[in-house]
Amino acid sequence: MKRNNCQGLPSRMPDNTAFQQQQLPACRPSLTARAVLPGFFATGVSFLGMGILLILSAKSVKEIEITYTDLCSNCSKLRENASNFYKECTCSIPFFIPEKMPGNVYMYYKLHNFYQNYRRYIISRNNRQLLGEDNTDVENCAPFQRASNDRPIAPCGAIANSMFNDTILLSYYPNSSTGINVPLLSSEITWWTDKHVKFQNPKSSNLSSAFAGTAKPPYWRKPVYQLDQENPENNGFLNNDFIVWMRVAALPTFKKLYRRIHRIQQFADGLPAGNYSLDISYNFPVTVFKGEKGVVLSTATWSGGKNFFLGVAYTATGAMTWLAAFSLMAVHLKLKKKKASFQC
Amino acid sequence: MSAQDSIGDENEKEPDFTWEVKANDRDYHRQFKKKAFLCWKGRKYSDNAIRTAKYNILTFLPLNLYEQFHRMANLYFLFVILLQTIPEIATLPWFALLLPLACLLTIRGVRDLVDDIARHRSDQTINGRPCEILLGKSFCKKRWRDIQVGDVVCLHKDDFVPADLLLLASSEPCSLCYVETADIDGETNLKFRQALSVTHKELVNTDKMAAFDGIVVCEEPSSRMHKFVGTLEWKGEKYSLDSEKMLLRGCRIRNTDICYGLVIYAGFDSKIMKNCGKIKLKRTKLDQLMNKLVIIIFVMLVVVSFCLAVAFGFLVVDLQRKHSYLAAFHSSSSPAREAFLTFWSFMILLSIIVPMSLYITFEFIYLVNSCFINWDLEMYYSPLDMPAKARSTSLNDQLGQIEYIFSDKTGTLTQNIMTFKKCCISGLTYGSDENSDESLQAVSLSWNKYADGKLVFYDPKLLIAIREDEDKVVREFWRLLALCHTVMVEEKDGQLVYQAASPDEEALVTAARNFGYVFLSRTQDTITTSELGVERTYQVLAMLDFNSVRKRMSVLLRDPEGTVRLYSKGADTVIFERLRPGCPNEHATEKALDTFAEETLRTLCLASKEVEEEFYQEWSQKYHKASVLLQNRAQALDAVYEDMEKDLNLLGATAIEDKLQDGVPDTIHLLKKGNIKVWVLTGDKQETAVNIGFACRLLSDDMEILEEKEIYGVLEAYWESNNNVRGVRDSGPKLQQQQSKMALVVTGDFLDKLLPRAGEAQSWTKKHSLLTRMGWHYRSQQIQEDLASWRERAFVDLASKCQAVICCRVTPKQKALIVQLVKKYQQVTTLAIGDGANDVNMIKTADIGVGISGQEGMQAVQCSDYALAQFAYLQRLLLVHGRWSYLRISKFLRYFFYKTFASMMVQIWFAFYSGFTAQPLYEGWFLAFYNIFYTAYPVLSMGLLEQDMSAKKCLEFPEFYSVGQKNQLFNYRVFFVALAHGTAVSLVNFYVALWAFDDTAGPGGICDYQSFAVTVATSAMLTVIAEIAMDIKFWTILSILAVSSSVVLYSFLSFLTQNFFIFRLAPTIFQFPHANQNALTEPYVLLVVLLAVVVNTMPSMAIRLLCHITAEPKPGVEISLSRHKSGSQHRRTQSPLPEGLDPPPL
Repeated sequence: MKRNNCQGLPSRMPDNTAFQQQQLPACRPSLTARAVLPGFFATGVSFLGMGILLILSAKSVKEIEITYTDLCSNCSKLRENASNFYKECTCSIPFFIPEKMPGNVYMYYKLHNFYQNYRRYIISRNNRQLLGEDNTDVENCAPFQRASNDRPIAPCGAIANSMFNDTILLSYYPNSSTGINVPLLSSEITWWTDKHVKFQNPKSSNLSSAFAGTAKPPYWRKPVYQLDQENPENNGFLNNDFIVWMRVAALPTFKKLYRRIHRIQQFADGLPAGNYSLDISYNFPVTVFKGEKGVVLSTATWSGGKNFFLGVAYTATGAMTWLAAFSLMAVHLKLKKKKASFQC
Repeated sequence: MSAQDSIGDENEKEPDFTWEVKANDRDYHRQFKKKAFLCWKGRKYSDNAIRTAKYNILTFLPLNLYEQFHRMANLYFLFVILLQTIPEIATLPWFALLLPLACLLTIRGVRDLVDDIARHRSDQTINGRPCEILLGKSFCKKRWRDIQVGDVVCLHKDDFVPADLLLLASSEPCSLCYVETADIDGETNLKFRQALSVTHKELVNTDKMAAFDGIVVCEEPSSRMHKFVGTLEWKGEKYSLDSEKMLLRGCRIRNTDICYGLVIYAGFDSKIMKNCGKIKLKRTKLDQLMNKLVIIIFVMLVVVSFCLAVAFGFLVVDLQRKHSYLAAFHSSSSPAREAFLTFWSFMILLSIIVPMSLYITFEFIYLVNSCFINWDLEMYYSPLDMPAKARSTSLNDQLGQIEYIFSDKTGTLTQNIMTFKKCCISGLTYGSDENSDESLQAVSLSWNKYADGKLVFYDPKLLIAIREDEDKVVREFWRLLALCHTVMVEEKDGQLVYQAASPDEEALVTAARNFGYVFLSRTQDTITTSELGVERTYQVLAMLDFNSVRKRMSVLLRDPEGTVRLYSKGADTVIFERLRPGCPNEHATEKALDTFAEETLRTLCLASKEVEEEFYQEWSQKYHKASVLLQNRAQALDAVYEDMEKDLNLLGATAIEDKLQDGVPDTIHLLKKGNIKVWVLTGDKQETAVNIGFACRLLSDDMEILEEKEIYGVLEAYWESNNNVRGVRDSGPKLQQQQSKMALVVTGDFLDKLLPRAGEAQSWTKKHSLLTRMGWHYRSQQIQEDLASWRERAFVDLASKCQAVICCRVTPKQKALIVQLVKKYQQVTTLAIGDGANDVNMIKTADIGVGISGQEGMQAVQCSDYALAQFAYLQRLLLVHGRWSYLRISKFLRYFFYKTFASMMVQIWFAFYSGFTAQPLYEGWFLAFYNIFYTAYPVLSMGLLEQDMSAKKCLEFPEFYSVGQKNQLFNYRVFFVALAHGTAVSLVNFYVALWAFDDTAGPGGICDYQSFAVTVATSAMLTVIAEIAMDIKFWTILSILAVSSSVVLYSFLSFLTQNFFIFRLAPTIFQFPHANQNALTEPYVLLVVLLAVVVNTMPSMAIRLLCHITAEPKPGVEISLSRHKSGSQHRRTQSPLPEGLDPPPL
């Protein structure tokens, strides 16, 4: 309401609203010891509990890691020379699982000192091509855009080109003579969203015609539509290994999911203890850049794999919080006493 | 007393007289051209259309962008965006910087556009105002924009004057014309302008006007409002012109039916337009600090980028040779080139650490905080319908840092409503104190038909003396009061209404009127009075104006009997200097003056003399010669006046009371408790000033008042102690001994002697003795400079040790000088407050100028940064608004820097793990939205609403004002702590995620780059939100909305930019489809985020708590606690004063 002053002009009196007068109803929470310390104690307790839980659950994870760069030194040497590109090299590594690995068992391959997060590497891909929309769209894929015959590379780019191409088979030896191939599944090792939307094959009657007119990446042995000879569904851009590889790792040492143990027959409850061997078709060169390759077999829990960091960190944070809370309380009580004595 | 011209004008060199205006000849003016731009030539005489708008439809975009890119920050980001177009170094997606910058530019552009549309509108209405121009033989109705220089225009009653006009004739006798200048200087009293008598007599009808072909020669257009010197040449004669014959654009014609004017300056050449838009930009300490910090950040970026690029240079050799999958990227270039490119890549990547949206948020906070000042009802003065006004919107935080207040007295501490209290006529004092003797009846003035009944006077002796009419001196005394002034009179409803430029004059003329000497009317040459019922008409021979240097005014009259008389009134010093030697009553009057001053009354001395006819004739010629001078007219006139004003007879003195404004003593007391020093700088007498000082509790009885002699003594001692250790900045030991409760009272003359400014050859008597004692062998000039600066420093040191300082008898220039000295030697924030034109210099010099919109016009207000209606509002302006603004801006700055570092430093750490390749860690859209959507609103709400104490508490405990004075809330230390805190937070966020993801395994493969990015981004954002949740101490509904909006916007915008439809549309722009959704539904990732946020938040909270429990309890908290606990068992906490009330230790 604006009153008019005597001259009939509207009054210049400011409006009396709570906002304009800066008198909005407000609460002023103050960080008093009484309000904060219980929170500290509660946080401490819950973090300690959570930390112990995490440590226990990480402990329950059974994990075996086999680094095979040195174990397959002959193959490593062979791959250091690029002229041996088409030469096959296989390598068999026996190992022993001392304890049964219950439940779902996952097989990872692990790379060390491999910069998948290198800036130009990370952008060297074309999402539109991978969506199956246009095979000839190779923008951003430098320096792997076109093959020497000027055909567009599919899939283009440095990421795809450097795809991990070892094949790893796992055999179980219930006794020393006969080996059983452990059944491995390559399905469901990707994000659902990647498999179903982000990657699509070009629409065509069959895959080879879909990729007609394109070239394979130079480091690849086979074209993209022949990645999996056994399962025709698992080919083209929808190949699970390919999708996993294309989801680049954050750090230079990383694990990528390779296979799941198919829980049938004697593996229905996981991997039994005993002798195993890895049969590796060694294709991926790493020794040149002092890299390492490995295979990891691991069970999984809700809290991930066998990584104690989180558990320890939680426990430590919980403990520190308690420590801080106690010392703050001590200071508080001491000062309170002092103040009280002042007032008396 | 209002000095119309500020002193500064007089020293400016006289302008050339090259502006020629020929009446009724438009073609004549068209031939003159002036150089505008390169070879372009514009018209010399602009037309009357004004265009204050900056842009039109076509020029808006280019001009506005051009202006915006004048800001360094915008230019920097533009540069980075341009760099980004080079594909080899484009590290960030193009929208990550472009989007926020475009947003900021748009916001500012829209603001400019709105302003400009308003300007277009007002231009339209102003240019479209109707007026009548003489075209050919008759006056035609036209618009303002059609007016050109040399036109004759006709104005009617209540019209606004469309251009600067020379008044030619009016319908009033003698071609008088009354104008109101409220729009120019805010003064509402009427002023009269008068045409030359030659034009008045000749130009009697339209035909004559059309035939008028006079040529006016005057100075080029200037901004000096009250200066105009020129001549009119017509029919072979020259006539002198001055500002009394000018009607300035913006004035309003009053009480005059029709008047005619010749356009001299039109449009942008007019005085008022020349005065527009010359606001000197003051910047606050925080603002300057902020700019420096941004530069520091930038330098840090360059250094970091350089180091990382060098690291990359070493690595790239390895990569080329060994990493076969990367070798193809580097096949054809040298490591040096690669490193060079990487340097620029990092420059782009790390540019996000420079807080881009800081400036615009900063400005917005300032703007709203200024609005809060305008909106404050507690600073609204209803009698004048005057709210407080923040004229400058960029100084609010400095209001919280004021250490010195320089206050004018009259009209600032006092009401400037003058009442005639006492007088001294020929040595006898009349008038008594109403308080001392209440039994006295006010004298009856009913015998006088002109009495307005407003004057209350208690001494019947005076009335008797007047009515007896026997004493010649008494008669002359009152006659002088009725004659010697510049008051205008108007008749309203049969009553005389006086309109005076200064309230002093009005009080005196009104007093004379009530005592029977009534000023009835004035024409240019005559003044008519009624003296005890007898009407008399005096012929005015000359008016010797008042100004602040002369400090007196005189009027030369020929009375009806034919004698020529001079009547003078002025400050006692100037009048006493000009008295006839051996004047009787001089001593008695002087004594009376002292008594008046002790009673805090304002005094004036009155004197007169009879002038011999011969002397007058002689003088009159000199006077005429001086008044038609074009060069140095003012100086010549002053000299002529001096000739006349000598050998005066003292009549007596008047004493006028000026009451203190409401709440002044309390306000000063409160400000002093807030550790603010209040200095009073006044033109009044020393005694008056000292008494006002006591009245407003600036001085108290237990203070030792140092006067000139003591000051010399102290300074001498100070000199001796500093003698051996030259250049030591500390004050000497002797000075420190005396610092208990001192007050300093100095006069302007003393200051002149003590602090002669460089270049002025003023000898200081002490100088030589000191010099010989020192026995220095420096070159004398150098010594002189040293001495001058030393003396200045010593004086300021001494003055700042005192509890109160009063400088009396100071000129406007000295006022400014004092402010400047204190600023120079104490490095403090100063505030000057005043109401009159004589305070303008001081107001402009101080860091913050406050104008009181009171009785003495608006000149002070128009130069000020803040306008208040009452001095008492100063306490609220400083202690509440200033305090809050400072708090808000400081907290805002600290947090803003913190949040930028906390989230963006991660990029540096990530470089160590990505082969130093400037790979951005965050998604482009996160970067694009981070500053404008995700984190902007909480910090904005803090900058607008934060309060650490309620307004009431702020005023109750002014001691806490000192945080601002000591720059405690934001300084380099706070910044570097924020930097360290931000760095620590970014390290925690990064390494928690890194170690958690390193070597972990789990379904879904969560250790990929996108999940990692999302995890770090989410922890960073939540940490920053948690920090501000702890920072905000004042939670209103708006703050809650702002904080929650951050989280909501984060979820919503992530959803928008990461869904599949948009990915399909532009797979290269939206590269993170469902990354948030996939990662943040993993319990492991959530645990990582939680851990990071808690690890970041807990120490911050623990430190806050520690500070809280170890700090001195704040009175606000303490009191609210004790009030809560006012139950029976806690009686003892209700001590009358809570502990810790003492001001925090220095």
